Amino acid sequence: MISAPDVVAFTKEDEYEEETYNEPALPEEYSVPLFPFTSQGANPWSKLSGAKFSRDFILISEFSEQVGPQPLLTIPNDTKVFGTFDLNYFSLRIMSVDYQASFVGHPPGSAYPKLNFVEDSKVVLGDSKEGAFAYVHHLTLYDLEARGFVRPFCMAYISADQHKIMQQFQELSAEFSKASECLKTGNRKAFAGELEKKLKDLDYTRTVLHTETEIQKKANDKGFYSSQAIEKANELASVEKSIIEHQDLLKQIRSYPYRKSKGSDLSAGEAEHTQDQAGQTSTTSNPDESADTEVYTCRPTYTPKLIKAKSTKCFDKKLKTLEELCDTEYFTQTLAQLSHIEHMFRGDLCYLLTSQIDRALLKQQHITNFLFEDFVEVVDRMVEKQGSALLEPGQDRPPSRSLEECLIPKVLISVGSYKSSVESVVIKMEQELGNEEYKEAEVTEVSSFDLQENLDYLDMDMKGSISSGESIEVLGTEKSTSVLSKSDSQASLTVPLSPQVVRSKAVSQRTISEDSIEVLSTCPSEALIPDDFKASYPSAINEEETCADDSEGAIHFQASISPPDLGEAEEGNLENTPSHTDSSCCIGKESDNLLMPLPTPPHKLSDNDGVVSIPPQSYRQKDQGFHVDFAVENVSPSQDNSSESFPAYELDPSCLLASRDVSKTSLDNYSDSTSYVSSVASTSSERTPSVHPPGSSSERHKKRAGQNALKFIRQYPFAHPAIYSLLSGRTLVVLGEDEAIVRKLVTALSIFVPNYGCYAKPVKHWVSSPLHITDFQKWKLIGLQRVASPASAGTLQALSRYSRYTSILDLDNKTLRCPMYRGTLVPRLADHRTQIKRGSTYYMHVQSMLTQLCSKAFLYTFCHHLHLPAHNRETQELVASRQVSFLKLNLGLVNEDVKVVQYLAELLKLRYMQESPGTSHPVLRFDYVPSFLYKI
Amino acid sequence: MSTLCPPPSPAVAKTEIALSGESPLLAATFAYWDNILGPRVRHIWAPKTEQVLLSDGEITFLANHTLNGEILRNAESGAIDVKFFVLSEKGVIIVSLIFDGNWNGDRSTYGLSIILPQTELSFYLPLHRVCVDRLTHIIRKGRIWMHKERQENVQKIVLEGTERMEDQGQSIIPMLTGEVIPVMELLSSMKSHSVSEEIDIADTVLNDDDIGDSCHEGFLLNAISSHLQTCGCSVVIGSSAEKVNKIVRTLCLFLTPAERKCSRLCEAESSFKYESGLFVQGLLKDSTGSFVLPFRQVMYAPYPTTHIDVDVNTVKQMPPCHEHIYNQRRYMRSELTAFWRATSEEDMAQDTIIYTDESFTPDLNIFQDVLHRDTLVKAFLDQVFHLKPGLSLRSTFLAQFLLVLHRKALTLIKYIEDDTQKGKKPFKSLRNLKIDLDLTAEGDLNIIMALAEKIKPGLHFVLSLGDLFYTSVQERDVLDDF
Repeated sequence: MISAPDVVAFTKEDEYEEETYNEPALPEEYSVPLFPFTSQGANPWSKLSGAKFSRDFILISEFSEQVGPQPLLTIPNDTKVFGTFDLNYFSLRIMSVDYQASFVGHPPGSAYPKLNFVEDSKVVLGDSKEGAFAYVHHLTLYDLEARGFVRPFCMAYISADQHKIMQQFQELSAEFSKASECLKTGNRKAFAGELEKKLKDLDYTRTVLHTETEIQKKANDKGFYSSQAIEKANELASVEKSIIEHQDLLKQIRSYPYRKSKGSDLSAGEAEHTQDQAGQTSTTSNPDESADTEVYTCRPTYTPKLIKAKSTKCFDKKLKTLEELCDTEYFTQTLAQLSHIEHMFRGDLCYLLTSQIDRALLKQQHITNFLFEDFVEVVDRMVEKQGSALLEPGQDRPPSRSLEECLIPKVLISVGSYKSSVESVVIKMEQELGNEEYKEAEVTEVSSFDLQENLDYLDMDMKGSISSGESIEVLGTEKSTSVLSKSDSQASLTVPLSPQVVRSKAVSQRTISEDSIEVLSTCPSEALIPDDFKASYPSAINEEETCADDSEGAIHFQASISPPDLGEAEEGNLENTPSHTDSSCCIGKESDNLLMPLPTPPHKLSDNDGVVSIPPQSYRQKDQGFHVDFAVENVSPSQDNSSESFPAYELDPSCLLASRDVSKTSLDNYSDSTSYVSSVASTSSERTPSVHPPGSSSERHKKRAGQNALKFIRQYPFAHPAIYSLLSGRTLVVLGEDEAIVRKLVTALSIFVPNYGCYAKPVKHWVSSPLHITDFQKWKLIGLQRVASPASAGTLQALSRYSRYTSILDLDNKTLRCPMYRGTLVPRLADHRTQIKRGSTYYMHVQSMLTQLCSKAFLYTFCHHLHLPAHNRETQELVASRQVSFLKLNLGLVNEDVKVVQYLAELLKLRYMQESPGTSHPVLRFDYVPSFLYKI
Repeated sequence: MSTLCPPPSPAVAKTEIALSGESPLLAATFAYWDNILGPRVRHIWAPKTEQVLLSDGEITFLANHTLNGEILRNAESGAIDVKFFVLSEKGVIIVSLIFDGNWNGDRSTYGLSIILPQTELSFYLPLHRVCVDRLTHIIRKGRIWMHKERQENVQKIVLEGTERMEDQGQSIIPMLTGEVIPVMELLSSMKSHSVSEEIDIADTVLNDDDIGDSCHEGFLLNAISSHLQTCGCSVVIGSSAEKVNKIVRTLCLFLTPAERKCSRLCEAESSFKYESGLFVQGLLKDSTGSFVLPFRQVMYAPYPTTHIDVDVNTVKQMPPCHEHIYNQRRYMRSELTAFWRATSEEDMAQDTIIYTDESFTPDLNIFQDVLHRDTLVKAFLDQVFHLKPGLSLRSTFLAQFLLVLHRKALTLIKYIEDDTQKGKKPFKSLRNLKIDLDLTAEGDLNIIMALAEKIKPGLHFVLSLGDLFYTSVQERDVLDDF
């Protein structure tokens, strides 16, 4: 392998730098340091060679014809930034390497001065003693009064990190080229204006001289010219020549080749204009001929002046400032661009590099990006992908739309096409949807829809359910017979349940309306808490869940629908069409199917009565317990503090009753869960937008969120189940009196919330009105106000009504009620003993762990053979067990971790199958697994 | 020659170099700052081509200007500064290494430059570090040469009473030629055989229907794992160019686009030489089934190397990056010291110097078996073949894997930065780091640490308290005792 002759001679393994000879040692200047950081206190973060400036900055310098190289301005314009760094010396250094052979004068064979449109040159150099290294962008501007008409300038990005300059060379070059183009465009405009003024002056002068000469001619009748007349004639000739020269210069500046406008949006319009003008051959001195030009138009108010015979070029006059040379507007834009560059390249190189690598890698993952990636970046990437115009300098990135600002499409997502990890029983549900205006009008007319009655009824039932610690799913799924609604208002809405469901743990599918609930099992009793779990939280666990009574029932949601476009309440049933081959495999069946769009939704809104009756579906998958899917169409979001509204849904009390049966009779065998898949969204929203302004993704936000999350996991021993709830799609309600505290924690926990849109995370930072079922559809993390007043009792009542579907973190009482978690994933994500000190570091850690998680979910989702029967005889049960086996063995997931990956996979699948990603309504899942009460 | 008259402008010597392939390099120049005449060009190297793209006059003009402003040079002692020019007006890019040295009895400033067409900018930039590193080291040796030669000349003048000032320093040119030509050859070979920025996964092992189709599962795991542990730097050797290149492309999948452009496929007919500084390079064995890997050049590579033999499915790796850098610097110092002590020109011949000095006794056992197993690559390989080939699924999965690695590396950097307060405080506990960042497997830590070291050079210096450079194991044990 290593058979090089130059190593054969080496046999000694001792120090290979022994000073065994009495010869002079190698001088240090000819050697290399043994350690990369030889000086005291030097390390990868310390400034190389002790630069005198505190951070990177931009310097604009000029090679003045009067005083030589001089610094003009710095960005940022703060003396603290460059400190004691000698700008004069460095200007001298960087200007001395200018390579531009910008030549203006009379080249051989040319009668007139020629402008040479030199291209910018770029140089990287350094001053190792000062520890300053620079990218220097040289450019030349034109000034009619300057020597040779040129003014050499340079813009330098100065940094203490030599590698940063070189590694970011192309990016720096591209950005500085934009700034340079901006300056030069402004300068050409100003120069042309200057020339036109000069031509007017010359024209005026010529006229005056001509008049004077004529007068003298007339006055002279001696037949010879006086010396005065000759002088005037010479002067006139000189002016004539000057006019021709300036006309030529004007022609040249107008014919500036359109070469670089592609790289600069700022000058594109102008460049095109000048390009058009380049074809013009006009050399007239008459300004009127070019008066129609937009760019080079001389100011109409300009009054020509008489030009003296002597040249105005002298060294005691004041040279134009950069702003004067470039037109104020362009100069301002340039400064904005330079400021943008300073921001862009600020900071440690390692962060710059990794962010660039991150961006490149994320571009290849548009399928999974939406889950946990910063939505602002995702939007940016989308914008980039769509080939949108480059951001103008200084322009802020387009603000992201919040979730509530997004129009929620009315297109139903096929439940049938959506493949869940559990079987489902489709239940009829009605709901009322409407925009805010409609709702407000409806408030006084609720009785006409029996809404108030339904509401009361619902409340009563829910109270009953909650007080007994029962859950909806028992009522809704235990009885498999078709159950009619007991509410008058719901008389027309039936909930057909399959009779086989009872005690057989089978799943019936009944589609009513657009909602579905998945019920897998009932809650276990307190006795089911594992001992080891109890031991780990000795004082934390009090099981609240008790089993429900046996009874019949079905889940029956009712809501009056008032979508803005329909104008009236409308009901629609969603049919969940089960497919024998479809068991979370619709993506991965065949490669051909991989890119196929979402199948046509199997449900339709009825034009006649607004109700589509769906026959009950036969149950499947007995061993998975009950599974009820329901979808909500045009959900009406609940309102915030100011507007009190009625809930736009109603639960059938019979469902509540029925749920008790199941929960009581299936303590051990059922894993009780309900998944709620919503497929339709409201087109309007009266909710306040989610607090995710564009700036929220800033480093500061991440740092703060990470810090608070770190505090949370250290302070609360039950952080793991809380985080598990978020990761598995179970809504977590953070309850508290103090808005600031609640908001802070919600922000912190939001980093664990998987997203389902491309705009904002499903996080509601603060709500003071009672929660509704639709809130759980929209939000996965909710900050809820606790108010002691009786008026707010409804809030807590509503909360307890849904406590079986949600996890509740009570900040005031330091309790958490949520399902148990025994996986290994979350402890690695949120270890309370972690030595991570900073919030930003913890945020990074979470990000990397969640990326790993996404990878697992991606694999699970798109693993073809997992979701297809191996052969025709393979049952769904076998496929399902194969899937679970894959999750456990191949992905190394244990216990509840499986559900996390399954949930993420469902989100991936749902999004992937949407025709227009990011526009669908989120998935909402209720897990009816037993909840526990944790206390500190 | 009258001493009263200014010396005539010396004719610029030129060496034309015949290259087998296309040369992206227009010329290389060696210039110096004459205290009377200003910048002067001493020597030009140019590829021998039929079409002259840049005349000698233009080369001289450009080379002279590389020393522009260097009269103001303000550098640390012994510094070799790099200047980089992109001159759109001339359509060229120039890389200049500026240094001070003693020549003709005076301390002066010199510039060794290479000139390329501007169209090659994106081709050159990924190779910038390779070129600069190699030219920098030859300059280090050249300075010593110039210094010693001056001493010898002074002695000759004293002894023989003759003055041959015009000859002084001439002999540095062959030394520089000794590195300029290989750099030209490197760029030429990269022009024809560099790995493309975008790699089609179909050309790699990851497109196999199942793991083990193309190569043994354990071998692939070891190769990728070790490749990542050695900062993405690997040498793939074999008898079949096709087989070698498939592994080269596979390994390049784990590199950034810029790093891929700094990697080279193997030539089908005849083998390239090993080139120090490339990330991945494929090399063909000779007819006897062996390949000579030059120890010195392997040592001078910026990162440790993984040696992969696709014929016998072996994977060997050099010590971790921080140890490699330490060994490299010791080796360099030893070489320069030997050079300094050499007494005859024969002793100073570039490739013989290392044999002559007994102080060059590095540990030859630089390539060792891959000892540390990782879970990251193993899990990746276990999982990726579950995805159907031929679609973009595996590419996406790979991108996710790389993203995880980069994010973990960045988190590790930040972790150490926080813990040491940017190097101001000693690092506390590696054990905690492993647990906190879920890097308990030694191989995982090595992979992430290598990536972090590449992103943030010198990171391990902080981690190791600046003392322990020999074995990372010892170091970790010490750290774990805290």
